Amino acid sequence: MDEIIRFTVNGEAAAVRARPEWSLLRLLRDEVGLTGAKEGCGAGECGACTVLVDGAAVNSCLFPALEAEGKEVVTIEGLAGPGGKPHPLQEAFVRHGAVQCGFCTPGMVLSAKALLDRVPEPSEEEVRTALAGNLCRCTGYNQILEAVGAASRQLRGEEGSHV
Amino acid sequence: MQTFTYLRPETLEEALALLAEREGAVPVAGATDVWVGVQAKKLAPGALVSLRRVAGLRGIREGEGGLVLGATTTHAEIEDSAAVRERFPALHRACSAVGSRQVRNVGTVGGNLCNAAPSADSAVPLLLYDAVCVARGPRGERSFPVEELFLGPGKNALAAGELLTEIRVPAPAPGTHGDYWKLTRRKAVELPILGVGALVTLDGEGTVRQARIALGVAGPTPLRAREAEALLEGRPLTRESVGEAADAAARGAQVRDSWRGQAWYRREMIRVLIPRVLERAGALAG
Repeated sequence: MDEIIRFTVNGEAAAVRARPEWSLLRLLRDEVGLTGAKEGCGAGECGACTVLVDGAAVNSCLFPALEAEGKEVVTIEGLAGPGGKPHPLQEAFVRHGAVQCGFCTPGMVLSAKALLDRVPEPSEEEVRTALAGNLCRCTGYNQILEAVGAASRQLRGEEGSHV
Repeated sequence: MQTFTYLRPETLEEALALLAEREGAVPVAGATDVWVGVQAKKLAPGALVSLRRVAGLRGIREGEGGLVLGATTTHAEIEDSAAVRERFPALHRACSAVGSRQVRNVGTVGGNLCNAAPSADSAVPLLLYDAVCVARGPRGERSFPVEELFLGPGKNALAAGELLTEIRVPAPAPGTHGDYWKLTRRKAVELPILGVGALVTLDGEGTVRQARIALGVAGPTPLRAREAEALLEGRPLTRESVGEAADAAARGAQVRDSWRGQAWYRREMIRVLIPRVLERAGALAG
């Protein structure tokens, strides 16, 4: 039996039909049409499906669609600023070579965003912990760590910093 | 895909009523275990009763007497709590080590306990701290030591229609040091090969007034190594006494071979990690 779920996606109100057995991932990809979140494992172990729900990173493959009622969901498509200006994290990922195949990237960027929103000046250890739930098979992670560090400095407006 | 009803009660009374009246209803909080179980067809609930919106079930209440953890408090809330980090370091360490931040943002300590896996990270420190479970059901409210929650792998002691509502963790006595060591093959997103917890309360002369040693993945449930505890109590805490206790804990453990590790290795690591946990907790000089 279907239900209409009312929630916010990337700042816009949405009312979407959902079945109880659907995950938020399924809802976002197939009903809302936002395919940035990927299904990597379907079991909450890889993080490719990561989206933000009320600011917190979650594995949308395990998040029941019906639980999205009343929540603010942010996907990778919602990160860019007015006129499509890339978020500093997105710019940093590109500039530092932190994107190869790109499959992990939406989830990785959102996990990083959730961290920087809570901890504007994270230590490397804190970055590693925050991203531990996002697997990347291509980069070896070093460029990703550099990119998050650079974006963190950029967001804090550090003098002389550029992404 | 199998379908089910997904219900979202807003009060405990509503939740209990739904569980009582619906055949095959399964309570769910963060869903990180239940949802995977349903997908893997290990669970076929007629209905899922979500506890996420139930008022009063979530949150950390701090007092002089200790902590009260609402059953649907997430691991992330525990990870982010300075009070837990400072006063209950073993619990902080354990909950911070569950899965990944994404899992911790939704997974709950109540769900971790009620799932009753022998590997449950939060169970070991709660055994160390002599935590008490409070449950509410058709017959009213009852409380019992957390140890009694676990009956076997995946089997908890809650009656039909009963819900774990909170976990009471008494404040450790002054002079108490303890920690939890999660032995894993990788740094995150992993169940433990072995979980080792140790907690000692020392008096002014360094004599052990109370000892607690708890193990995960060393038996059908998370458990206390009482023989080892008895070997420590009433004596000064030394490398020798800790070694004896660790040997006893290792000998008595019901470890098994599994694909994550072999029995002989688990047994050996109990012996190795008990002293290391006490060192890390500051109870034993390195």
